[in-house]
Amino acid sequence: MEIGQSVVFTIPIFGGIPVTTTVVVTWIIMAILTIASLIVTRGWNQVPTGVQNFVETIIDALNSFTKDALGEYWASFAPYLGTVALYLILANTIDLFGLTPPTKDLSATSALAIMSIIVVIIASIKAKGLKGYAKSFFEPMPFFFPMKILDMFTRPLSLAARLFGNIIAAFIIMGLISKVVPIVVPAILSIYFDLFDGALQMVVFVFLTMLYIEEAVE
Amino acid sequence: MNLLAIGAGIAAISGIGAGIGIGIATGKAVEAVSRQPEARGSVMQFLLLGGALSEATAIYGLLVAFLIIFFMKP
Repeated sequence: MEIGQSVVFTIPIFGGIPVTTTVVVTWIIMAILTIASLIVTRGWNQVPTGVQNFVETIIDALNSFTKDALGEYWASFAPYLGTVALYLILANTIDLFGLTPPTKDLSATSALAIMSIIVVIIASIKAKGLKGYAKSFFEPMPFFFPMKILDMFTRPLSLAARLFGNIIAAFIIMGLISKVVPIVVPAILSIYFDLFDGALQMVVFVFLTMLYIEEAVE
Repeated sequence: MNLLAIGAGIAAISGIGAGIGIGIATGKAVEAVSRQPEARGSVMQFLLLGGALSEATAIYGLLVAFLIIFFMKP
């Protein structure tokens, strides 16, 4: 069992860029999401029917969820949170279809965490202005400055490590179980480890990002 | 390899702390909801946050165990 990602092929420029399974599976997820959104949104009209009803219910739930937490700033951040949620739910549960989940790679989760912390910084600047953001490092008193700086690094670290740790732990446990008992048992346990844990980690990631944004815009 | 395996096992003991933490958090959340059933939504939010934060310690232990196994070749 290897913690690193296997290289699928190498792009022969600049002395060879290795393309890992993480990147390839992410491309597959991108293709699925793009094609699905093109197919699902075709032929929509004012009065919703069928699939449109379902999609609108989900979007309404996301919008009211962010509106409760972020107040007047919800419209700028709901699309980002929804996109991350869609990507993560596919990425965490793609193990069911025999592909390696991209969130099993620390690089992928780090990229997501850095994206989230950049969104938090942008939210803070948008709410308080550049001067107010700089001043917020010295509140409630200048003594807290080193801790605020440390906070900028520990938040993405804990976001990335949490997602990565949960997914790789589920992946390794599933691998061990299917080596010991190859039939029936892995199917039952994968309901917990792939479906439930994947969905829960998606909720936790989106929720924590939203909490950080909420704290930033206050 | 033997000592490395023992080290990884010791790192995984950090799971105890996370288990106790999540247990206490869930128990208190159940108490809060049974006292005030209408506050279910906001209690759920805090429970999710507390669960995620206390779970982080176990995840750090897991990461240390992985680092020991995969990156400290004898």
